[in-house]
Amino acid sequence: MSSRDTILATLRANRPDPAAHELPPVAVLGDMDAGKARFEDALQLLGGQILLPQEGDTLATAIARRFPDAKIICSAVPDFEGTIRLEDVTSPQQAAATDVLVVRSPFGISEMGSIFLSEAQLNSLNSAAHLTQHIVVILSEKNLTANMHTAYVERPEFHTANYGVLMTGPSATADIQGVLIRGAQGVRSLSVWWE
Amino acid sequence: MKVKPVNHAKAAEEFLDDAPHLTFHDERLWDMRQKRDQQMHLLPEWQELRSRASAIKEHTLANLPEYLEQFEANAKKNGIHVHWAADGAEHNRIVGEILEKHGAKSLIKSKSMVTEECDMRAYLEPRGVTVTETDLGERIQQLDGQMPSHIVVPAVHKLVPDVAKIFAKNYNTDPNDDSPQSLAESQRMAARPVILTADSGMTGGNFLVAETGTFVVCTNEGNADLSATVPNLHIATLGIERIVPRMADMGVFIRLLSRSALGSPITQYTTHFRGPQKGGEMHIVLVDNGRSARLGMEEFWTSLKCIRCGACMNTCPVYRRSGGLSYGAVYSGPIGAIIDPTFNERKYSTLPFASTMNGSCTNVCPVKINIHEQLYKWRRVLVEHHELPFVKREIMHMAGKLMGQPTLYRTAINGTEVALSTLPRFVLYNWLNPWGKHRELPHPVKQTFHTWYKQNRLKNKKESQGGKA
Repeated sequence: MSSRDTILATLRANRPDPAAHELPPVAVLGDMDAGKARFEDALQLLGGQILLPQEGDTLATAIARRFPDAKIICSAVPDFEGTIRLEDVTSPQQAAATDVLVVRSPFGISEMGSIFLSEAQLNSLNSAAHLTQHIVVILSEKNLTANMHTAYVERPEFHTANYGVLMTGPSATADIQGVLIRGAQGVRSLSVWWE
Repeated sequence: MKVKPVNHAKAAEEFLDDAPHLTFHDERLWDMRQKRDQQMHLLPEWQELRSRASAIKEHTLANLPEYLEQFEANAKKNGIHVHWAADGAEHNRIVGEILEKHGAKSLIKSKSMVTEECDMRAYLEPRGVTVTETDLGERIQQLDGQMPSHIVVPAVHKLVPDVAKIFAKNYNTDPNDDSPQSLAESQRMAARPVILTADSGMTGGNFLVAETGTFVVCTNEGNADLSATVPNLHIATLGIERIVPRMADMGVFIRLLSRSALGSPITQYTTHFRGPQKGGEMHIVLVDNGRSARLGMEEFWTSLKCIRCGACMNTCPVYRRSGGLSYGAVYSGPIGAIIDPTFNERKYSTLPFASTMNGSCTNVCPVKINIHEQLYKWRRVLVEHHELPFVKREIMHMAGKLMGQPTLYRTAINGTEVALSTLPRFVLYNWLNPWGKHRELPHPVKQTFHTWYKQNRLKNKKESQGGKA
């Protein structure tokens, strides 16, 4: 008998009575506020930032001001130029040189300040979102969902994307003597630009 | 040869001797516990979330074979190769074969307790595969040749100078670097080239979703996503119990996991892997390693609900003051003490005794495992199986006899006053009395409660009853 069949047979013999353990209906609990203010508070709690436009700002001028030393600004969106387009980046090794990656997220979660990205936004080069030094995420207020329950119930991406990441602020660690450090091994900063 | 039980008490004693490490460890974990409490108080639905999480997990465990089959079918449909491993050896063999087929020599991996269970690095390294842990804490432990001391924060027992020394030896950095920021940056700089040239990647996983064939990985450093997406080969290892039925169930668990673990609302990365990336290959190894047998243990099967948040460890006074390494096992703390004996009853026979039975672990558990009750039940099982050390067994035996006979007990208790105040220290504080090692015995009392009650209340009662009659 294969290990698969042995494991399944043992589980069948050993399990508690299924009739005594009903599956509860899907839970949609908690605060249903899908607002921008709640999103921003949550994002900032986890070290994320809001890229705020100044008078007459475009995304390009806001990025130039926020990242004055950036040499390679990679764009994954049609409405922003950058210095290189993500379609022209063909390997993780090439993506590793990116200073700033600009992407558009299909939705955010107000409870957590999380943004979602999948291969659809990353031109199937998923590592680009983690090898870049900084990431700027374009997000629309109308694409906010209230909390984790509503996100999993409503968003089709969880059923269709092969790779789907919820990023909440930049990478972080507190593994050395409990000191919180933003910018561990993935992006050093994550900024949201409202459209 | 019979395996020796882990001497937890002795290892804990060594840990207690080092005041700076002990103080930091205790305070850091208690801080995590307090941050967890703050998050809990922000959510009026917290207790309902725990009940739901527990009910979903119990249902899933009772229907585990069906959900695993459903997961397998969906994962295969999405192009994932699904493997089943009965034990650690089979797991390691499977991983080794996949790597060999690809000619892979450099494996980058994120933290996975299951690969620790399987002792995978020790299997792969002699076969010519360089395994690099990419999680900062786990990497520190790898470089130091130690097991993780905590399931969420593997190097929590170390201080900045310890890390500086380890990095200096391995990364050629300043041995006197006293900045956690610059040490973390050293890890980033050292890891990046390894990540970019690795030919294979590996992650653990927090959840399997039967409905979609997805596995979900919750991390903070970004290293798991790098390990999974930079190389074209991604192998994921998960225990068979980590499954939930529906994607919509993930809401309950994600809302509980990081709040319980670190006191942060969510991990920085919550990643859903449903299939290989473009041009890539994805494998998942479903590991049993004792879990299917544990499901049949009437008093202990609910320990399989565990989502590995570590809240029980952070709150446990024994864990905080003895350190994870003192448990001598992959899983430490209260959850370790109830699952380790299922791996090796004799070796881990001492662990269920590493508890004050205060019940705090049970109270903070996000999936409502009755941890402290299981600790108690394990003690009973271990006594029945004669896995108790001599002194503990004899003392329990004597105590049992004494407490079973009221007259004998009272005589003995009355005698303790004389004993405690007159006996020399060496009679009271010796190897037969481990309780007195770090504590003073209580001050002798002039009169026991029983004698006082007999003299006062019982007398009054008789008098008042006499008056009525």
